[in-house]
Amino acid sequence: MALNSNIPDGPIEKKWENHKFKMKLVNPANRRKHTVIVVGTGLAGGAAAASMGEMGYKVKNFCIQDSARRAHSIAAQGGINAAKNYPNDGDSVYRLFYDTVKGGDFRSREANVYRLAENSNLIIDHCVAQGVPFAREYGGLLTNRSFGGAQVSRTFYARGQTGQQLLLGAYSALMRQVNAGTVEMFSRHEMLDLIIVNGRARGIITRDLISGEVQKHLADVVVLCTGGYGNVYYLSTNAMNSNVTAAWRCHRKGAYFANPCFTQIHPTCIPVSGDHQSKLTLMSESLRNDGRVWVPKEKGDKRAPRDIPESERDYYLERIYPSFGNLVPRDVASRQAKFRVDEGRGVGKTGIAVYLDFADAIKRQGEDKISEKYGNLFQMYEKITGENPYKTPMRIYPAVHYTMGGLWVDYNLMSNVEGLFVGGEANFSDHGANRLGASALMQGLSDGYFILPYTVGNYIGSTDLDKVSEDMPEVNEAYQQSKERLDRLIGMKGTKTVDEFHKELGHIMWENVGMSRNKAGLENAISRIPELRKKFYQDVKLTGSANYVNSELEKAGRVADFLELGELMARDALNREESCGGHFREEHQTPENEAKRDDDNFCYVAAWEYGEKGHVLHKEDLSFENVKLATRSYK
Amino acid sequence: MKMNLKIWRQKNANDKGHFFNYQAENVSEDMSFLEMLDVVNQDLVKQGEEAIEFDHDCREGICGACSMVINGNAHGPERSTTTCQLHMRSFKDGDTITIEPFRAKAFPVIKDLKVDRTGLEKVIEAGGYISVNTGNAPDAHSIIIPKEDADLAFVAAACIGCGACVAACQNSSAMLFTSAKISHMAHLPQGQAERQRRVLSMVQKMDELGFGNCTNTGACEMACPKDISLENIALMNRDFMKASLKHR
Amino acid sequence: MQILNSSIGRKYLMGLAGAGWTLFVAGHMAGNLFIFAGPEAFNRYGHAIVSNKPLLFGTEIFLVTCLLIHVGLGLRLTLENKKAKPAKYAKKAVNAKKPSFASQTMAYHGTIILFFIIYHLITFKWGPHYDVTYGTETMRDLHRLVVEVFSEPAYVAGYVFCLVLLGIHLSHGASSVFQTIGCNHPRYTPVIKKLGWIYALVVVVGFISQPIYVFFNLRG
Repeated sequence: MALNSNIPDGPIEKKWENHKFKMKLVNPANRRKHTVIVVGTGLAGGAAAASMGEMGYKVKNFCIQDSARRAHSIAAQGGINAAKNYPNDGDSVYRLFYDTVKGGDFRSREANVYRLAENSNLIIDHCVAQGVPFAREYGGLLTNRSFGGAQVSRTFYARGQTGQQLLLGAYSALMRQVNAGTVEMFSRHEMLDLIIVNGRARGIITRDLISGEVQKHLADVVVLCTGGYGNVYYLSTNAMNSNVTAAWRCHRKGAYFANPCFTQIHPTCIPVSGDHQSKLTLMSESLRNDGRVWVPKEKGDKRAPRDIPESERDYYLERIYPSFGNLVPRDVASRQAKFRVDEGRGVGKTGIAVYLDFADAIKRQGEDKISEKYGNLFQMYEKITGENPYKTPMRIYPAVHYTMGGLWVDYNLMSNVEGLFVGGEANFSDHGANRLGASALMQGLSDGYFILPYTVGNYIGSTDLDKVSEDMPEVNEAYQQSKERLDRLIGMKGTKTVDEFHKELGHIMWENVGMSRNKAGLENAISRIPELRKKFYQDVKLTGSANYVNSELEKAGRVADFLELGELMARDALNREESCGGHFREEHQTPENEAKRDDDNFCYVAAWEYGEKGHVLHKEDLSFENVKLATRSYK
Repeated sequence: MKMNLKIWRQKNANDKGHFFNYQAENVSEDMSFLEMLDVVNQDLVKQGEEAIEFDHDCREGICGACSMVINGNAHGPERSTTTCQLHMRSFKDGDTITIEPFRAKAFPVIKDLKVDRTGLEKVIEAGGYISVNTGNAPDAHSIIIPKEDADLAFVAAACIGCGACVAACQNSSAMLFTSAKISHMAHLPQGQAERQRRVLSMVQKMDELGFGNCTNTGACEMACPKDISLENIALMNRDFMKASLKHR
Repeated sequence: MQILNSSIGRKYLMGLAGAGWTLFVAGHMAGNLFIFAGPEAFNRYGHAIVSNKPLLFGTEIFLVTCLLIHVGLGLRLTLENKKAKPAKYAKKAVNAKKPSFASQTMAYHGTIILFFIIYHLITFKWGPHYDVTYGTETMRDLHRLVVEVFSEPAYVAGYVFCLVLLGIHLSHGASSVFQTIGCNHPRYTPVIKKLGWIYALVVVVGFISQPIYVFFNLRG
């Protein structure tokens, strides 16, 4: 199938406006006759469900958590970008667009990114109207801070809990619609499969995570906003229950998976402390506004950080990138930290960390000011490590944080399966090979509030949707397959737990498909993951039943999918013989260890089609008409 | 370290439930409390037993999923800390730790330490929002909010909806939770239009759902991992009386 | 009627009714201190109160109403609260998370205080009626009754015990009512709480000083 991105004609500033005008509309009185399934209640899903509920569609909204408010968007800390130019430092929609395309290392779709930048201002307006308590100046106006990869202050924030506040805004809008009867909530429900009838997505199969009941839900449109797949690495900053299952099940039903190897390793996370570790905790990138990153100049220097004199410290980001300094984009900062640790200059008990030091900022601004800006982050750090970051520098190290790849979508955010829309982190569209800080919240809300409600309506308005019923063979087949899969898993009485397999997969992924990748390592992963998968289906051990709450069974289903995804990620990374953004191939680097892109051969989106005999690659060529392809430099 | 655990196991809402004794060996003080339970669960599964069910997700103290009572304390002995942020360095080698689910009539046990907190959701549904449709908003800077008010709104909005207030309260009252949302919106100009309607309907819903009454013990405030203050309850009481007197 | 149908409204009324009694006990306590001024002053004070019929009936109606509201709503509140928390935890919270003893046990001391009030009325208001005449005026010799009653060690002990419970009840109630009616401010609330304690202490000490004085100095 040829990939058609459906980018509208016209100059980039006019594309979305023209497109909106050309869209088919659905008469308000007819909307309640159309059922829209939204899977996920994070920023994208919650916003989409609420907005479509407001418009009058009959929305069914699903989430695996016990409440929509707990979707993992809640954990985003630093902020949300918008091109408001309130600080008068020269920002504009075009600059935000430019920075995002450049930050993504020229592997995103220009038209999508421009639309994102346009919507950014609407998001701030809408969220303020909803009562999101953004940080303000004494004069009562909104304030901004700067974030990595930009030289303007365009990040709006609510202390270190911006994601929480934005999500609670979307959640309140959603709850209003639940109260109004337009949205029906299904919390503690997990999507197990997509129902396709006549080539169109017409519903989903779910499992009620309490009763264990497998259910059929039919609809005219399915919108997937199910987040990223960072947990394929076992250790990541994602929530414990974040998973790829919904997206992967759609992929197996024909939806293409795009750029799976583009993962973001966030530079400022609390380092691993031992084998027992179940997840990693992010320290917001905003900390790099005031914190200085350094390691000792001497290899293996075991002195306490405060005993190392200024002259024996290497503030390596400031040294290598004088113009951006500590605020270089995430991929660059992460890689440099890895280089320092690989050189043997890492710090802390394990030697796998670098310092993030606030001593100067505290001296300059006072402890009160720092505490006002980052108080909750400092507190969180102290709880986890038992060290006080006001007194001693934080130890940080990169960790898997976000996945730029995801299901392939066109300009309308519809996948190649008609009627299946994908929003938020679950799609691939806006961040290219690297996401800039404070852009994920922007994208989730842009998709949810301001894109999907239009494009879903356009689809419904322009498509002849036949009647579907629960007893159709396609529906029953999906239902049966899901049941059989559960039965197979619950019947596994091997010797190793699901977590043991997950950990082993994570280890393979981190070692070979992590911060830097090479041919041998990727081939190693490609041969080891299928073996591990085979072992999983022979030797995994489950207890309990499928007919009631069983978190081990839930995990097993998710890990089974990760075991397939991991291999595809390695294949994609092996195929992409270039370095770009978060994807760093050791074979392709400049003499200064910077990523070396190959625009002649790899300026495309790699969209993978699932096949029983192996994945098939489809390419969507990317053209850059507005931002000139250039080597990314933050020096 | 070695820990003796007394953990509440209950098959479902109708089961009576009992404490069972378990041991956790090789516990490191850098482990989080939930990581310690992970280890116990791995052992249980290997022995062919069912894992202990508990809610958890972000493990960063922000999603509000964790819902257990540790030695009689909702979220454990430390103030301003969720269970997932509690680390084993708060315990001593050989300690006996009693773990129970959040207990309240409005929070029926689903299994083991998992409880059903849908009640809190219903309270928000009744009015915990500002009615504004997508696409209606004026420019963000057309609404001027003094920093002090914005900060007060933020502090109230920091509630993570975990329900520890209900769990810790001897009356299972949901006043702290409800008042946090009311107070968040009452401090903002955007929230004024629906201020009275909101407090009336949210309080009514809260009462209907079988949460208890407030007796001002302050247990909720002490258990709250996000330090939501009793001030919010006072504001709610005030607003409620004003609204009920004015109500036509 | 929305007020009576809601938890907050009922608690509001209950708090205000309690506040009525809180103010009354201070007045009552102050009157009791006439014991130190001798029998005549004490009896004349008592006489002045009972002969002012409008004041007496007014106060009585007010107090009975407050008591009925406070007790009635308190009973309902307690029953509802018991229902809302069907099971208790196996262990007690650490100090940092434990509310004050008084606030957790209001229903218990409240009940004992109720019975104390009834017994107290039986003893004094409806108790033996002795007469005394000062000049031309004949009035009730309440002083004699007080001395008789407080010469009993058991009665004094019981009285002191109940008064201590009243103090505990007030130590929470006197400041808690401010929270209930919606006054909570980071600057003033800590002061209000301290004043509540002081108020409770003054009332209790004032009340207890009477039987102690009588028992040790006036016992026949």
